[in-house]
Order: sequence, then C-alpha cells, then structure tokens
Amino acid sequence: MTGRARVKARGSCRGQEPHPLEPPQSSSGNHPTVRDSEASISTNLETVKEGVSAGDWNACTLIQRRGKTWNNFLELGIHTREKLAHVKDCKTGSSGAPVKLVTNLFNLGLPREWHLFQYHVTFNPELASKRLRIALLYNHNKFLKKTKVFDGTMLFLSESLEEKVTKLSSETQKGTYIAITITLISELPSSSPVCIQFFNVIFKKILRKLSMYQIGRNFYSPSDPVEIPQHKLSLWPGFAISVSQFENKLMFTANVIHKVLRNETVLEFMSGLYNRKDKSHFIETCEKELLGCVILTRYNNRTYRIDDIDWSVKPTDTFQKRDGTKITYTDYYKQQYDISLTDLNQPMLVSQLKNKQIDSGEVRIAHLVPELCFLTGLSKRVTSDFRLMKDLATETHLNPTRRQQRLSRLADNIQRNTEARFELETWGLQFGCQMSLTGRVVPSEKLLMQDTTCQPMCAADWSRDMRNCKLLEARPLNDWIIVCSYRNEDAAQCLLSCLRRVSSPMGFHIEKPKIIKVQENTAAFVRAIQQHVNPDTQLVMCVLPSTQKDCYDSIKRFLSLDYPIPSQCVLARTLNRHGMMMSIATKIAMQVVCKLGGELWAVEIPLKSLMVVGIDVSKETCTKGYSAVGFVASSNSRITRWFSRCILQNTKTDIADCLKVCMKGALNKWYRYNNCFPSRIIVYRDGVGDGMLQTIVDYEVPQLLSSFRDSNSNYSPKVSVIVVRKTCIPRFFTEMNRTLQNPPLGTVIDSEATRPEWYDFYLISQSAHQGTVTPTYYNVIYDDNGLKPDHMQRLTYKLCHLYYNWPGLIKIPAPCQYAHKLTFLVGQSIHREPSMELADCLFYL
Amino acid sequence: MVDSDVQRVQVKENIKFTPSLSEQRHKFVLDFVRKHKPQKVADLGCANCKLLWRLKYHESIEVLAGLDIDENILTRNIYRLHTGAGDYLDPRERPLTITLYHGSVVEKDPCLLGFDLITCIELIEHLEAKELAQFPEVLFGFFSPTTVIISTPNFEFNPLFSGKTLFRHPDHKFEWDRTQFQSWASDAARNYGYSVEFTGLGEPPPGAEAVGFCTQIGIFMKNKPNAQSLLNEKTVECTHTTVGTVIYPSLKEEKYLRKAVSNEVFSQILKMKRVLLESLKMKNDSDSGDECEFVKPKYNESKNDPFEETPKPFCIENVFYVPLERLFSFPKIKHLCGDLETLKMLIADEVTLSSDGSSVMINIVDEEDCDLSDNDGDDL
Repeated sequence: MTGRARVKARGSCRGQEPHPLEPPQSSSGNHPTVRDSEASISTNLETVKEGVSAGDWNACTLIQRRGKTWNNFLELGIHTREKLAHVKDCKTGSSGAPVKLVTNLFNLGLPREWHLFQYHVTFNPELASKRLRIALLYNHNKFLKKTKVFDGTMLFLSESLEEKVTKLSSETQKGTYIAITITLISELPSSSPVCIQFFNVIFKKILRKLSMYQIGRNFYSPSDPVEIPQHKLSLWPGFAISVSQFENKLMFTANVIHKVLRNETVLEFMSGLYNRKDKSHFIETCEKELLGCVILTRYNNRTYRIDDIDWSVKPTDTFQKRDGTKITYTDYYKQQYDISLTDLNQPMLVSQLKNKQIDSGEVRIAHLVPELCFLTGLSKRVTSDFRLMKDLATETHLNPTRRQQRLSRLADNIQRNTEARFELETWGLQFGCQMSLTGRVVPSEKLLMQDTTCQPMCAADWSRDMRNCKLLEARPLNDWIIVCSYRNEDAAQCLLSCLRRVSSPMGFHIEKPKIIKVQENTAAFVRAIQQHVNPDTQLVMCVLPSTQKDCYDSIKRFLSLDYPIPSQCVLARTLNRHGMMMSIATKIAMQVVCKLGGELWAVEIPLKSLMVVGIDVSKETCTKGYSAVGFVASSNSRITRWFSRCILQNTKTDIADCLKVCMKGALNKWYRYNNCFPSRIIVYRDGVGDGMLQTIVDYEVPQLLSSFRDSNSNYSPKVSVIVVRKTCIPRFFTEMNRTLQNPPLGTVIDSEATRPEWYDFYLISQSAHQGTVTPTYYNVIYDDNGLKPDHMQRLTYKLCHLYYNWPGLIKIPAPCQYAHKLTFLVGQSIHREPSMELADCLFYL
Repeated sequence: MVDSDVQRVQVKENIKFTPSLSEQRHKFVLDFVRKHKPQKVADLGCANCKLLWRLKYHESIEVLAGLDIDENILTRNIYRLHTGAGDYLDPRERPLTITLYHGSVVEKDPCLLGFDLITCIELIEHLEAKELAQFPEVLFGFFSPTTVIISTPNFEFNPLFSGKTLFRHPDHKFEWDRTQFQSWASDAARNYGYSVEFTGLGEPPPGAEAVGFCTQIGIFMKNKPNAQSLLNEKTVECTHTTVGTVIYPSLKEEKYLRKAVSNEVFSQILKMKRVLLESLKMKNDSDSGDECEFVKPKYNESKNDPFEETPKPFCIENVFYVPLERLFSFPKIKHLCGDLETLKMLIADEVTLSSDGSSVMINIVDEEDCDLSDNDGDDL
C-alpha cells in the first residue's frame, strides 16, 4: 500500500537483491562514538574492534559478548548435523540436472600442520592503559621483527616462542620497569573459531592496504564514486568480505556492495524542509524526519544517531570542554578544525553517546552542528521515491558479469599488491583461485488448477499460463460493499465491471455490491463502513483517494479488530491506468478470492498429512520494545489453506512461548478440518537475527516439540525445523552463451559452499530481472522426519510456488512470506493482534 | 633570593595548566599557521601525530610532513591522518598530501627541503649532545625553511613542580634555562641567516614570575627568502623511509570539482523547480488567472541581488529552462567554476542543455505514472 510496502513486496516477490544498499546503522548497531584516542584503525588496536579477543581469557565468552560481530562467528561451534542420523554421512541430494557454477569464494591455502600460537600477556606492575601495554610489547626487541597481533592481552604469533612462558622486562617513558610475562595458551588449528576470526582480521588489514576505506565491517573505494546528483547521492563501490570455513576448506568470500552516501548536510536538509512545508509544522516535521537518522560528521568521520534536536541551543552558545573550560561552538570548531560556521541560528542535534565502559551508568550526550553533519543511509521518504530507487538500482544491481569483473579485480589486487602479499605470506596464507562447483536444477513443478494441470512456460511468472484456467476453489461473493469518494465513483464502477468480466472465467461468482459514496476523508470512510457492514458482509472494498496512510490504517484497524471482515483497498490512482485495467482487475479478483478463504492453485505434495508452518519475526515497524511474531500453518494436506496468527510480543521475553500458543491453535484447526492431527510437521523459521541460531536450537525447538505433547499425550508427529535466511554470503553464477548469468530457477547447492557441521543447502527459487540473484539459505536444525535431502530440497522448492499474491516463484517458502506479510500489516497499520475470526483466510494479502 | 620565593610557592599545589601545556603548544602553532598561512609544513619528532592531525584541517596547507625516530609510533598513529568519508563528500579546495617519514632529525634528507614552516615541539631536549651539535646545520643550513618554531622546557621553572627528578621526562638529555636556550638559538640564527624572537607558554604562579614561562619558544624567520635554485643542487641521497602517504581529495582534481559543481547545480535547479511547481499549483487552486511568474526564492533577499541582471528561468510547455548565466550567479557555483565556460563543461555530462547550450533543461512533469510494473504484491 505505501510505497515502502511496495518496495518490500517487490523485493521479495521478484527476488532482486534484498540488500543492495547498506542499511543505515540501526540504533542497536554499533556507533563508533569512541573518543578519538580509541577510534583507531591502527594495526594493533584493530583486533579489539574486530573482536579477536578483548582482554579476555576465554575466547568463547568474548565471542558471545561481541554481539556485533558477524553472525558467522557467533554461530561457529553450533553442531546440529551430528544429531541428525540420516544425514550424518551424506547430506547431498542427487536428483535434477547438474549445472556448473562459479562462486564468489576463493580458496585459502595453508601449510599442513599450520597453527596459530595464542599467548596471554601480563604486565607487572599492571598497566591500565591498553595503549601503553601495546606500545611496550611492540617496542620490545624480541617482537620487533616478528609477525604478531596483540590487543593488550592476547598475543597471536605465527611461530612459537622458544619457551612456554617467556619473561621479559621493559621500561616505560617515565622510567618504570615493567615485567612482562607471556604464557602460551593454545596452538590453534586453522578451523578453530578464534582462528577464523583471526583470519578475518588479517583480511581487513589487507583490504586497508589496498587503500580501501572501512565503514562498519565493509570496505569501499571512495576514490571511484558513482554520483547521482539529481538525488544528492554518492555511491561508493565496495566489498563485504569474510573468511569462513566451508565444507572442508578455508575460503575467502567477497560480495560486491555499495555504500550510499548523501551529499546533503543536515542543515541543507532542514532548510529544504523549511522552504517547503507549512512553517507552523516545521519543528514537528523536522523531528519526524530526522530523529533516528544516522549522521556522519564531516570533520572527524564518526557516525552518530540523532536522538533529539535542541532548538534552544545555538552555535554561539557555550559548552564545557572536557578540561572544564567553556567555549562557544563556533570558536571550538574554528580552533579545533579551522571551520567557520555560516549559519549562527541553527539548532543543535543531540546524540546520546554509547559508553564504552558497560558499568558506568552515566549517559553522555553530544551536541552536533547540523551544518557539519552529513545524512547517511536512505530515509523512509527516500526509499519511497520510485524514481530515485530506480536510478539507484541501475547503479547497484550489478549483473553477474559486472560482479565477476569486480571480484576478479579485487583478487588481482590482493595477489599483486606487495604489502598485501607480504601480510599473507608472513602468516603462511596462500590466496588461491575462485571456486567453482556443481549444483543441480530440480525438476520444474506443475500447477494443479480445478480440472486441469498446467505446466508454466516460466516458473517466475505464470500469470499468462493461468488465463482461462479455473481457480481451485473460489467461494461466491454475494454480500459486499464498495466505499469510494464522490470523485472516484466512475473509477469504482469501472473496476466493478472489470472484476465481473475477469472473474467468471476463473470460476469466481461476483454479485452486485452496495456502493457507498463518501467525502474524501478518513473519518467519512470509517463512518460509512461502520454504518453499512452487517454480520453477513463478506468483503469491504475501498477505493482510496490518496496514499494517505492514516486512512488505510484506520480502515484496516476497524476491519481486523473491531469488526473482523476481510477488506480490500485499491488506490484510485491505480484505476486510472487505462489499458491495464484487466490485469489489475485479475489481480484484485485473485486477492479477493484468497481473502474469502478460497484457493488459487496447488502443487503436487507427495506427503499426506503434512503440515507446513512459516514463522517470521519483525521488529522494524512495531512499537519500541515489541516485535510482531507471525505464524502461518497449513490446515489441509493439499497445502492450500492457511491458519494465520500474529502475536505482539515483548522483545524481552522469549518468543518461544507464543510459538507454543500458535502451534496449539494450528493443530486444533487441523484437527477440526481433518479429524486427526498431522503426522508430519515442517517448520520454516524466518526472521532469525544474527547470532540467534543458538537460542533457536536450545529454546524454540524444545518448546515447539513440547507443544505437541501438550495437545495430546499420545501425539508425537515427525518434525523438522528449518532456519531460512534470505541473506547469505555466497553468490552463484553460471556460464551460458559465453557470459555469466544467474543460475536457472530451482538450482540447489548442497556441497562445498555449505558448512560441515550443518545440514544445509542453498536454493535459488526466484529470478532477478536486474542484478544478481541472492540464493536463499536453508539450515535444517532439527529433523526426525527422516526425509532424504533430495525430498527436503524439493519440498522446499514446491512451497515457494504457493504464495497467492504472486503468480510465480518467490524466494522463500510461501508460509514464511505469508507470515512476513502478516507481521508487516500488524506492525505498520493495525498495531494490535488481529481478530482470531480472520485466522482462516489470508486477510492480510 | 629567587630560590626562596620559589620554595614558598612550591608548598602549594602541584602546578597544572588549563588547557594543558601540550594543548597550548599546539594552539600556538595553529595560531601561527592561521596568521602566516604556510603551504608546506613539517613537524619534526611528530610522535603521536596529534599536531599533524590538528594541522591537516587548515586549508592553506598543501603539504604536511612528519618525521620521527620511532617507526612504531608512526605506524600506530598514522590512522589519525587518514581521509574520512567527509573528505570525499566535501573535498578540500586545495590538495593536501601528508607523508610520515621514519628517520633521524640530523640526517640531511632532501624530502624536507623547501618547507615554509618546520616545527620542533619539545624535540631538542631529547637529542644527544652530538646530535644537538649537528642539528642547526641540518635544520637551518640544509632544510632551510622560511620559518621555524622550536619549543623546549624552561629549566628555571622546574622547582615549581613537586616531582623529585631533575628533568621533567626521563628521556630528556638536558633542560635549558632561558639564557642557555636563547644563546643557542641566537647563535644558530646568526650563523644561518635567521632572525629569532622568544616567547613562551605556561605563566608561572603569582609570586614566582621571575622564573619565566614553563615552556620557552623560539620563532625563527629566514632573513632572505628561499632561493629555489639552491635547493635543486642539494641532490643528497634519501635516508628517511616513508611510513605512509595520505593524499586528500580536493577540488583541484576534476572529478571532485565536477561532482561538487553538479551537486550544487542540481540543488539550485531543484529548488527553483519546486518554487515553480508550487506557484503553478497555487495558481491552479485559486484560479485567479494571474500571470505565472517565477517566484524568487526568499532566501536571496540580499540588497545587491545578483539575480536582478541575470536571465530568469522560464517554462515552455512541460520543460523548465534554467539559464546557465543564472546558475553562474550563485556565489558558490561562481566560486567553484570561475567562468561560465567551465561551468558548462563541468555539467555537460550530467544535465541536458538546450539546443543553443545556454540553459539547462529539466522536465517538470512527474514521471510517476509510468511506473506500471510495481503493482504486484499489496493491496492495489
């Protein structure tokens, strides 16, 4: 409905790159708001930032503590495959046609018997300053020429010291003698988690050597920016890199990404607003647009989040410096950075600084001058600008060929740059060739319609193939109303006649509705609905005069909370697209069929009595502290009917509890329709955040399992739980007609780029019109169904065909997409749990 | 007499300066730079590179160099001098190259030739007697910069500190009183054709005024300006090793200039377009039949309005024409481009120009209605 929703839906249906752009650092993300003494990118302090070890003995606790590190580290050491007997020896399938694939993975060679030597270093007397500890050790003769990484406590060497415990002494500048004791803790094999993290640090160092510029975890080349001046945007091409252990090899992976920077200071943005908007609402609009934005200061390259705007403070006011002296902002910036502020009436942006010391409770606040702050990331308003996003996509969605060019250039640079090569060699690493592997293309699926089956020409979009086919089941629409404004009456009439024309070939009978004309405002729409709905009303259709969100929200709220009836909103503007009316009407008709509880099509499901469940959790749009848990379960064995529930959950509590409630509801529903419980249940869990895998294995799975026992003590279905990830690092290309292209739909990769400790596979179930397709990553963390990997993969592929809002394949299994859609509606518009009366129909499409 | 005074004062608190003395020293150099606007500045004994970091913000400086004997401290601190995102988003007007060298200050290395200012902040007291003896010849005789700032502790001030050590820092090889420093400095100045002035930082507490400043400073000015030919003859081998070089983007590079100009041009055009659309909308709403005249943006209500004489933007059907002359009258654009032809050349790739090349053309109809492809998914 909103532009944003549209963008989202498009992203997932068409499966373009899900994150072509770097999202702005979220509030929970790390804010490099450290004091300048600590904001170092220097060679030895970096280890602290990267989290190899942060002055902590135990590398594990460290990994846990560093919540920000890449999920790969957090999930190292979770072994789920060993418990799954049927895939212990082999987790690969065999059906389908083999396809040769090129990847974005590069082999990393290490000598046999390679070890990393980890030492713990103590100083006596103890030194509080990490900086001093590092300086002392680095300046010691013993280490001058050695390859080393030291973060103040942990020392990593590529060659062992002669002794297990080495005692040294050193003198500080102040003349104090310090005894240094270096104790060997462990010899780490290359596959150990600490080592993997360590390699990541090494590669970050190498990318810096290639004059790339680090923002967050990624590296960019600011010297070849792509400019989009009409939108005040600059794009920096770059790479997200990582080193990880794949099936049996250590691999370096690089993904081509772009950083979007805005050529606009906060002050410019504000004056833009001031000149545009009705001035009385200026402050309000300004705060609405800016609070929460991440900004980049122009003078010291740090990012801050805008938490507030202080309209009472001006640059000519004074503040207290750390040494206690007072100075005006203007003088401070003049003295410190030789910057003269031009606007002396601008307000101050307020940012809460994150404290490095966890224990100190005080909140530090920074005042920032709008003139000196650049906006970063893309705001809601920017992402809803269709033209802007189109221009951006042209630059950021690289096709496989262009992507490969950038990858080869990076690999080339790493191999040619002497400093980079030296860094690799000192640690014994060898940068190898790009890996290629063989995937399989699983057979395409037939669609089951009423009376016929249909083999779509293209699995990405079968809307043509379905013309003149009768839908599986469509309940007649007898009692319904259309609400529209006086101005849009013609549009509504036109829509109605088109609906009636397209619906009869579908086998969908539409009676004449009651048409209600109202004024163009939210209250009038809601009032009309309140007055005219009755218990027999099957559907309320609204022709909305504008994209105003509150009108849509109020209607949806009323019709899913107070008076639960399926509703369909249509923008009047959409109906003005002449020549498109028939296809628009077809889509609306199909959505209406679903909202009435009908079924559009099916695919063949060989397993009988199988329930599939999709779970998604979304935090983004909810009230702070709450997340929306969407739970959608099939309620028939054809997998065409769904039970949908959404629960708003306090983020502090485990979501496992509400899963239990949902699961019970789904089982009861199944029992009501089938007079038995399903014998197999497969759960697809989406919305798993970085580093949450452990929680899911330890808490959610047991909770789900116990909910079956609670339903009936004798009931123990066979259960599989699969974690679905829409983002992953590997990319796959295939060579066709001498160019690199996206792999065909239905490509499965279950070897080499997978992880030895997991039962995992990649599936490409969506086509990318522009750019490179991101495979969806599936990790089966629990499975007593005992399905062969082949069957698991094919079943997953089948489920990607069943999303009724799009006549084609989508990138994730349909129940997950339904759950996502549901949480989106609840989070964006309804803000409360929708009525259970609607649970049987896909009212949220 | 003086000594007893000093004793009395010392009984009080340990002396602290606010802002700290090192901050004051940096500020002293920065004020000097602001006043004299040197282009090439070197800091000998740059250590943690903090002074260089402060200096890099000064627009006048195009070359910054740092030299230190401790390579480690340089590699660990060079990050301070790296470019940031802001340097690319809003590049400097003039180029800036920062280089850190590892080496001794008494080596005659050509990389430090031709500088406008060389600073030696708290450096000389770390030099061994032999090095100190060679230093004036290398600094004034060989490097021969236009100006030099040397600071060093004033030994007379030391009794005011409660510390028991002779010198303020264990690595100090000596600390001079005012007479010693001034005679050394005056000798050096005389020998190499410089004039020198003395000042200091860190006022002594009341009652102890006689000891002078805590830090003493000598400012050396070359009597004759640099003779370029002389420099070229000094072809001496390089002994310093380069620890790192950081090159800042600047508007002197065409790609950054092009970006800056096109951003500014687009931003002005979009502002004008918005004003136009608003006035059109008002006209439609009121239906008063007034002539559609371009409304001048309010923020330009200066007395000497440069827009008075320049051609106004105009509209033909759905195309909005902004004359280049009009754009050029914006001070920032004028400043960036210098002349109209440059403006035209710089933006040619980014915009559509009218057939005679005098105006930028922009379509004012929103193309929104063309997006037919995105109606999958939600409620339509």
